[in-house]
Amino acid sequence: MLIFSHWIIVFLLAPLFVGVIAKVKAFFAGKKGPSLFQPFFDLQRLFQKDSVYSRTTTWVFRAVPIICLAAVLLLALLVPLGPFKAPLQFTGDIFLAASILGLARFFMIIAALDTGYSFEGMGASREAFFSCLCEMILFMNFITLSLAQHSISLSSMIGGNLPLSWKLWGTVLILVVGSFFILILAENARIPIDDPDTHLELTMIHEVKILDHSGVDLGFLLYASAIKLFVFAGILIPIILPIEPVNKVMDMLIFLGGMLAVSIAVGIVESTTARLRLNRVNHLLLIAFALGFFGFVVKMWKG
Amino acid sequence: MTSWVDVICITVVFLSLIILSNYRVAAMIRIFAIQSFVLGLLPFFLHAFCISNRDVILGVVTMVLKAVLVPSILFWAIRHVSMRSEVKPIIGLSASIILGAMIIAGAFWVSLSLKLPGKPASDLILPCSLSTVLLGFMIMVTRTRAVTQVLGYLIMENGIFLFAVSLFDVMPVLIEMGILLDIFVAVFIMAIVVNHINEEFEKNPASVTFSKMGETF
Amino acid sequence: MEKYFQSSWHVPFGEFSLKFDPLSFIFLVAVIILILCAGIYAVGYMRPYASKRPVGLHIFFYLVLSLALIVIVLANNVILFLGAWEIMSVSAFFLVVFKDEESDVRRAGFLYLIASHCGTFLLIIMFFLMASNSGSMNFDIISHAPFPPVLAGVIFLLAIFGFGVKAGFIPLHIWLPHAHPAAPSHVSAVLSGVMIKMGIYGICRVLWMIGVLPDWCGYLLLIIGVLCGVMGVLYALGQHELKRLLAYHSIENIGIVALGLGVGLLGESHRMPFLAVLGFGGALLHVFNHAIFKGLLFLAAGAVIQKTHTGEMDRMGGMAKVMPLVSILFLIGALAICGLPLFNGFISEFIIYFGLFQGIFHLPLQGTFVCALGIIALALMGTLALACFSKVYGTVFLGEPRVPKGSQLGERISLWMCIPMIVLAGFCLWIGLFPRTAAGIAFLGGAFLSHADLLELPMDNIFSPLTCMIGGVVLFLALVLILTYLRVLFLKALPASVSETWRCGFSYVTPRMQYTSSSFARLILDFFKRILFYKRTFPQVKGFFPQSASMSSSVSDFFEEFLFKPVFGKLTNLSRKLDISRIRYTQMYLMYIFLYLIILLVWKLK
Repeated sequence: MLIFSHWIIVFLLAPLFVGVIAKVKAFFAGKKGPSLFQPFFDLQRLFQKDSVYSRTTTWVFRAVPIICLAAVLLLALLVPLGPFKAPLQFTGDIFLAASILGLARFFMIIAALDTGYSFEGMGASREAFFSCLCEMILFMNFITLSLAQHSISLSSMIGGNLPLSWKLWGTVLILVVGSFFILILAENARIPIDDPDTHLELTMIHEVKILDHSGVDLGFLLYASAIKLFVFAGILIPIILPIEPVNKVMDMLIFLGGMLAVSIAVGIVESTTARLRLNRVNHLLLIAFALGFFGFVVKMWKG
Repeated sequence: MTSWVDVICITVVFLSLIILSNYRVAAMIRIFAIQSFVLGLLPFFLHAFCISNRDVILGVVTMVLKAVLVPSILFWAIRHVSMRSEVKPIIGLSASIILGAMIIAGAFWVSLSLKLPGKPASDLILPCSLSTVLLGFMIMVTRTRAVTQVLGYLIMENGIFLFAVSLFDVMPVLIEMGILLDIFVAVFIMAIVVNHINEEFEKNPASVTFSKMGETF
Repeated sequence: MEKYFQSSWHVPFGEFSLKFDPLSFIFLVAVIILILCAGIYAVGYMRPYASKRPVGLHIFFYLVLSLALIVIVLANNVILFLGAWEIMSVSAFFLVVFKDEESDVRRAGFLYLIASHCGTFLLIIMFFLMASNSGSMNFDIISHAPFPPVLAGVIFLLAIFGFGVKAGFIPLHIWLPHAHPAAPSHVSAVLSGVMIKMGIYGICRVLWMIGVLPDWCGYLLLIIGVLCGVMGVLYALGQHELKRLLAYHSIENIGIVALGLGVGLLGESHRMPFLAVLGFGGALLHVFNHAIFKGLLFLAAGAVIQKTHTGEMDRMGGMAKVMPLVSILFLIGALAICGLPLFNGFISEFIIYFGLFQGIFHLPLQGTFVCALGIIALALMGTLALACFSKVYGTVFLGEPRVPKGSQLGERISLWMCIPMIVLAGFCLWIGLFPRTAAGIAFLGGAFLSHADLLELPMDNIFSPLTCMIGGVVLFLALVLILTYLRVLFLKALPASVSETWRCGFSYVTPRMQYTSSSFARLILDFFKRILFYKRTFPQVKGFFPQSASMSSSVSDFFEEFLFKPVFGKLTNLSRKLDISRIRYTQMYLMYIFLYLIILLVWKLK
């Protein structure tokens, strides 16, 4: 039952999360901006459209939207969402999370190469490169958190006695949060790394890979990326807001407030910074890695 | 326990790392100003309940000098020298960041076996000051521009300041003030020297390579 | 679990003593499966050569190699082991130089032979040290004698270098990327799948005989693993030739195995049997898994190469439409080698990750640090391998053919070649979805290696996460099925049309505009260009109607170019200079022998 409540939450709230970010960006640009529910309308429109497939493509191209969506739905089950505990939690589930994301990434890359044109190949190449750095950052933070919490299960790494940890090694957690926030921006193709709003540009990473998808497939992919952003934010919130559970309603409110805060933070970053030049992105990611590593060193120092 | 001193320590080290990974001189100076400002906050948090006059003087002087005056002199220097805005590191920025991270780890490693005479306000002060000094050194070693050399030197000094503050009760405030004055004068002289080098080369347009050399030491 | 077979064999110090224990069991199963599969594959693969070359001789050496491999893993005596080791090396040499009219192949073969003998030289010293410590050539008796720590360290180092040549530890790997592509594909599969694992087997056997080692050995092995893994996969990314790429990937996987062994050693030296079993068990399972999926990949690559008559990935493309079955089998191998869920690589990498995390929690400070380094390196290896194999799969099997379509019609891939690949893919899937048996056997081997009792250890701590993990993977499969059904429902009402790829309005498009494997890997290689010595050469394009131009990119192997070539160049020069002393009369040589005899006699008199 818990599984379905999780899925319902991510299905309902993930596009809304994207809508809030768009609203914040519109506010900073001095515009009214689209409705909060615009992502839902977009998805609905895509689900009603017919699809066009390239002659070059094979089954891989058609399978990718399904694999991506399934991967993020599985990922969602590993993360506690407010009052709802993670339905799937066991020692070592972080490897399941990382490798399922890896599987989706693998298929994403080969599907981009499947279209047989240079734009998609470009996106695939960039994705392959930046994901190497992202994976290092992810595991660096996992190591630090697991040392702090003495567990390698995602739920207890970001939950449990974190309030106590903030008192004991708040500095470590500040570094982890900073590093993880950059990771969220990078993994979900947000602005300093990638621009989610423009298509067809030579500078893009994520958007250019899905250039050839249309109709239902594109809808699946957009849904998947919205859910991925939501779930990553869901990992960050319990680290930032280590509030011990009071009751279900309060928990839900705290969770929603945290989500709102993260989406506003992402929106502010997107409105105030420019997208980095492509050969500077790896510096940003390396800084995030160095942050995580610094956190690990401080954790070891503090014992 | 996590204290504000801890937070300031890691912020200082992190900002040095950011300076190391930056490629624009102006941005480097700006981040240095932020770092100095954060460092200037440190005396206010050292003695949580009784902020003495000494703390206030030290903090305010540091902020005014290093977060306002020194950066503006540096800005003045780079404006007048009409140099290219990007630094030319000897080793790449990516390698610098990785090396910087390793230097931090090394500083922590060394600090394990170093003992301080008194008990500092936070156990992070010693390794963080050591890391900052080493990172400043690294900036001096790997960057070729005159201004970046000075910046590296200033970051080193920031590291020493962090260390000195932990011995604050032992050390007279006069010495720290003297050091701050020295730095101010050093930066001032540097700015004038850089300016003169540039003027010399502009007067004597021997070759393009010579005028480029003016930007480096 | 231990069974003996003894027979008389009239060789000084030698005895024909075979021993069957959990360690040899794991290697034996890998050897037998891969030898059989590659052998069956060879029936189809060698058919085009049947009338042109001495195929019979090739098969003879293949069988000799198989026998030698089996004897190595079962040998219980130094002399028997070394004898089988030499037979293996020499027969593998003859297998590698199958196409001996090509000078590259001959060169690769000799390089292999020389490297292999250098390794054996160290091994002989090592075994003599061990035998002199215990006074016997029998492995069992050697293992019962206590080793002083210094001697144990020396033996360990000799084993790392001696067996490391065969296993392909960086920087001793230089023969490997030459020999594997030169050999026919089924031989490459055996070389990469099991023969280089004999190096790992040797190290394991030595570890078992020595017992507890000082903890620097564990750190050394971990560092070697990190180095091998990261450098191996980076070199692989820079390759343009399919089989050479796979050969470099073997170095990466050997690195992963070394990581596991390092964790095991650390557990052993810090008296943490659970950690030791995790590390050794993960390493052994990865040995088996690598044999399976690397075999599969080499066989599939062989099929592709037979079809296209080239190994250059930049000249392939769109093979999934030409050979759908092989493309799926290759995909399975690729997913397995990247350590992605559903397949076997995931299981062993998970166990090694798990061991490293246990190391982080329980080891002292430097152990924590090195284990964290191992985890980061393993994560980096995983994504780099993912980049590498998505590059291979995307450029070889997907997209449009980069050369005219007619040139891809080589020989038909016969059933003889398909069935072994299907069997290997089945093993990948079986271990990936039902890991309990294989992991259990691997842990048995790990417990045997670390002299621990499996029943006293909390093995449930690893088995229950493994079960949950498989549950998650099965849930993922179910999700994929549900979503597929949903998509079919959605699509039923809507028309789907087929057209060209959207080219952003550009209409004159040729297949050569696709991303090639070199351009795909460029970003990553550029990032690591300082350590890879990555070079790209391209001419300046001039004028409005430029002439045709070509660009090339290459990665040079640091250890080969800057370590071995200069050193061996110096050695060659030195031997040229010593050449003066060589005299061309036979009598002189006889005199040398005579003098030597006299010296020996005088020495005996004393």
